[in-house]
Amino acid sequence: MLPQWLLRDEQYFPERDRDIFIDRSIRTLLTLLSRLRQREGGSEEKVRVNPGVRLGSTLLLILLLSLSRDFLFVAYAGALLLAILSVYRAELILRVLKTSLPIATFTLFVMLPSALWGNTSGLIMITLKVFFSVVAVKMFVSTAEWGSILGGLRIFMPRLFILVLDVTTRYLVLLGELSVSLLVALKLRSVGRNSRKQSSLAGVTGTLFLRSRQMAEEMYAAMECRCFTGSYPRGSTAKISAVDLVPLGVGALTVAVFAWTGMR
Amino acid sequence: MHIPDNYLSPATCAVMGAVMVPVWAVAVRKVRTEVSNARVPLLGIGAAFSFLLMMFNVPLPGGTTGHAVGGTLLAVLLGPWSACISISIALLVQALMFGDGGILAFGANCFNMAFVIPFLGYVLFSVIRDVSKGRRAEYAGLAAGSYISISVAALCAAIELGVQPLLFRGPSGLPLYFPWPISVSIPAMVLPHLAVAGVAEAIFTVAIFTFIKRVSPGTISAAPKPRFRGVYALLVALVCLSPLGLLASGTAWGEWGIGEIGKMVGYVPEGMRRGFSFRALFPDYAVTGMSGVIGYVISAITGAAVLVITFKLIGLARRENRRKALT
Repeated sequence: MLPQWLLRDEQYFPERDRDIFIDRSIRTLLTLLSRLRQREGGSEEKVRVNPGVRLGSTLLLILLLSLSRDFLFVAYAGALLLAILSVYRAELILRVLKTSLPIATFTLFVMLPSALWGNTSGLIMITLKVFFSVVAVKMFVSTAEWGSILGGLRIFMPRLFILVLDVTTRYLVLLGELSVSLLVALKLRSVGRNSRKQSSLAGVTGTLFLRSRQMAEEMYAAMECRCFTGSYPRGSTAKISAVDLVPLGVGALTVAVFAWTGMR
Repeated sequence: MHIPDNYLSPATCAVMGAVMVPVWAVAVRKVRTEVSNARVPLLGIGAAFSFLLMMFNVPLPGGTTGHAVGGTLLAVLLGPWSACISISIALLVQALMFGDGGILAFGANCFNMAFVIPFLGYVLFSVIRDVSKGRRAEYAGLAAGSYISISVAALCAAIELGVQPLLFRGPSGLPLYFPWPISVSIPAMVLPHLAVAGVAEAIFTVAIFTFIKRVSPGTISAAPKPRFRGVYALLVALVCLSPLGLLASGTAWGEWGIGEIGKMVGYVPEGMRRGFSFRALFPDYAVTGMSGVIGYVISAITGAAVLVITFKLIGLARRENRRKALT
């Protein structure tokens, strides 16, 4: 025999609740995670050039682009970058443009009013420079494995920085997944109107911090078990090979074009 | 607040990078000597945490959302030097992986977000907490520290951008990089931070701190207490850099003299003409009979020294009071 209260007809319509901030946060975090996973998936284009040489030539190009005041050099750099980009797979090209086009469009909007006051050359030059710089960085990053980027950075940075950077990128995925789960849990547990949801956000991030602390402790214990003594030995970096002569040659040509356009 | 490449001239980027190199060097040394080995992984995971904090949308009054940087929070939880390294790494990952913030402008972005926010936030938090003790003071310090430090960081970014048209112009007289002067860049950058981002940062910082303190109080006291010799070094550096202020030819926004207001508005408001006039020792930071730069540096040294002396005297008075209370 069923109890009376179970037989009573209940009509419960949960009040509509606004949780834009949770949805937005989940969306941003998921985008981040999917990008990080793409990187881990090993679908990267393999480029055999030494990462140090590639990082160096990318930085050189960005620096010269920024220094140059001649439209001809900007056009040369753009042509060079687009030529290299055209060899990439379509997915990679899309990924490079997805980052660089919004930044260039934003720049265009920032510069637009000054163009109305007569600074049209600045509008074109700066927008193109911003666009090509981001394209150069994205091209380097999307074709290099994270390990080789760290290898390239090793030349410029103290080893503690490299260790921290390495840990950061690994834990970004773990903590990202954890925060998505926490936010989804918060969303699922809020039935009807939940006015305390905003204060729960502090709980979500606070838990995230405490969890990251715990992870750090566990990681240190694991490092100690593997004989970590507090020093970071210099790992081997890839040797420069014959393939590297191509970017070195292109780099030399770029410097020559920069010098020539500067003297005109 | 992430400045992309080519908004700043390479010279500005080099200067900002040069400012950050000693900061990073000291931070690495401090972390090696003062932070135990066991906490080193926390720097990396702290960087990942700081990166993710910037992804969280905080609900703001009026139905909008904003995101926080969490610089002051990290400085309080991990110590300012560790926070400096963690946020720098988070910014590097953003610049490299997501094209958010430029590579050449990395130094400038780190100065604004990895140096100004954690250090200023931490100093304000410590001063307010120590001056008026109690739990409320702690929260007030945290709110004020995070709100002011993010606004000051926005101000720094606005100044870096705003000096570009003053310093770098092509032969035709048109700006080569960011085209808007300080009078446009400061209100455009600082006002949204005062109204939205600062509020988000303060709410977020206080809320997370309260939560962690309630759930795991040991975490907060574990942060090493830093000494502030570095802050004195910064003061000296600011004194040396103060002649840069001379490069700005106009008077600062809202700091016009009566004559200037007359020229701008066409008349001098009655209250201003008859108002209280204070004859400073160094009017307009210039010392009579000396060149502009030297006068400016002297004013800066004097001002900084007066501030340091004042704070030292306040500290002495407080120590004396405490001793009296004990005996």
